[in-house]
Amino acid sequence: MDTSNIIKLENASIFQKKNLILNNVNLDICKGEFVYLIGKTGSGKSSLLKVLYGDIKLTQGEGAVAGYNLRKIKNKEIPFLRRKLGIVFQDFQLLTDRSARENLEFVLKATGWKDKNKISDRINEVLNKVALGTKGFKMPHELSGGEQQRLAIARALLNDPDVILADEPSGNLDPETSNEIMNLFFEISRSGRAVVMATHNYSLIEKFPARIVKFDQGKVFDHTQN
Amino acid sequence: MAPEGNKMARKTLRTSYISTVVSISLVLFMIGTLGVLVLHARKVSNYVKENIQLSVMLLPDAGMAQVEGLLKVLEKSEYVKSATYVTKDEAAAKLKEDLGEDFVEFLGYNPLLGSIDVKMKAQYADSENIAALKAKITASSVVKEVYYQQSLLDDINKNMKTLALVILGFSALLFFIAAALINNTIRLALYSRRLLIKSMKLVGATRGFIRKPFVISGIMQGIYGAIIANLLLLGLLYFAKKEIPDLVEIQDYEMVLTLMGGVILAGIFISGVSTFFAVNKYLSRNTQDLY
Repeated sequence: MDTSNIIKLENASIFQKKNLILNNVNLDICKGEFVYLIGKTGSGKSSLLKVLYGDIKLTQGEGAVAGYNLRKIKNKEIPFLRRKLGIVFQDFQLLTDRSARENLEFVLKATGWKDKNKISDRINEVLNKVALGTKGFKMPHELSGGEQQRLAIARALLNDPDVILADEPSGNLDPETSNEIMNLFFEISRSGRAVVMATHNYSLIEKFPARIVKFDQGKVFDHTQN
Repeated sequence: MAPEGNKMARKTLRTSYISTVVSISLVLFMIGTLGVLVLHARKVSNYVKENIQLSVMLLPDAGMAQVEGLLKVLEKSEYVKSATYVTKDEAAAKLKEDLGEDFVEFLGYNPLLGSIDVKMKAQYADSENIAALKAKITASSVVKEVYYQQSLLDDINKNMKTLALVILGFSALLFFIAAALINNTIRLALYSRRLLIKSMKLVGATRGFIRKPFVISGIMQGIYGAIIANLLLLGLLYFAKKEIPDLVEIQDYEMVLTLMGGVILAGIFISGVSTFFAVNKYLSRNTQDLY
């Protein structure tokens, strides 16, 4: 495993507007590492992920993700930080006005892909990876919750990111698809990418053991690898 | 099932798009109508001024050669738009028609004098120039007297100035209102898409990349709105011409075409700028502030 840090937080305090959510967070995540973020609802897992992808500003402490300093990052740099991350949002964040394929096409075009054939090939590749190869024409609202989740995962994989941040990615999936998706995430992790996953699904953690970071009462406890 | 849902989603989007275009077109039609008024105000003013008439009453013994000489002098004058000789018989016939009675037969003779009806060029139709022309004409040996309605002339000049100021002020106000209405329509339409804009931001699209299709769509809405407004404007001008035949005199097709071009430019400008700022507003907001 590559030991260089891809995510680093030092004495970071995380606020939602003026409310302190997490205090004095220290976290190091290396390339190729798989990390679970666990904790009760409202414990700050999603807020931490938001800080990592630049949706919440880091105002206290230090932080860096994929080479971007989270304290000093400028607004215009945030899209470029996000291109280095594959993000699976809890509420999917799919573009509801276009089909599944067009959702993926938007991301590729937004990140500088121009060649139509390459775009089409890449879309087919990731759709097949999440078993949505035949459903690219569907609008997001025509997909089931699990299919939307898989589409969100396909989108996160598009640009071969350094880090995958996943907020409850198995929340809407049946056990069989959950297993497939987890295998996929572990495969990504083994290829040298870091995967950070917020989850409540403890049976999944037992089945796919990895490092656990626990959130409780505004604090973060980093457990050693299982 | 899938195509059904797809159809519904696209129908909803289309309905929202159409209602925005219709709102824009109505506001642009309002601007266009005012534009017609502003552009024609000068023409109307000229039309009214050039209908101010000086009646030059000729002496009963004025010879035809002398009258023609005076007519030539008047026609060559830079102040005069037209000078028409009305013989005493023509004057009698006209009065007879107006009165509905044959006053010549009743009196036994025609008491009217021959006259020349002089119409001024609009730019000289003011008290000073008319008085100067009157003095020049009165000096002629064949002229008995010259008269015109001084009070009407003063009223027209005074009212035209006031009207020009009122129209100018009203135009500025209406343009501001129109811009605010279009801006509001576009902002409302974009409000429903603010979460879509947020999703686009979250997947790594730059502000420019997100903004571009919205601004292009806004400009297209402006163009479609302007085309509808221009068609309504043409309809309005057509019916106005039918109902008020005198309008033919003051209608200027080149001016109408310029105005229609202006309406299209206003549509593009107001819609484009409004969309730009509305999208920027949502691009700049934090996720928490969007809910």
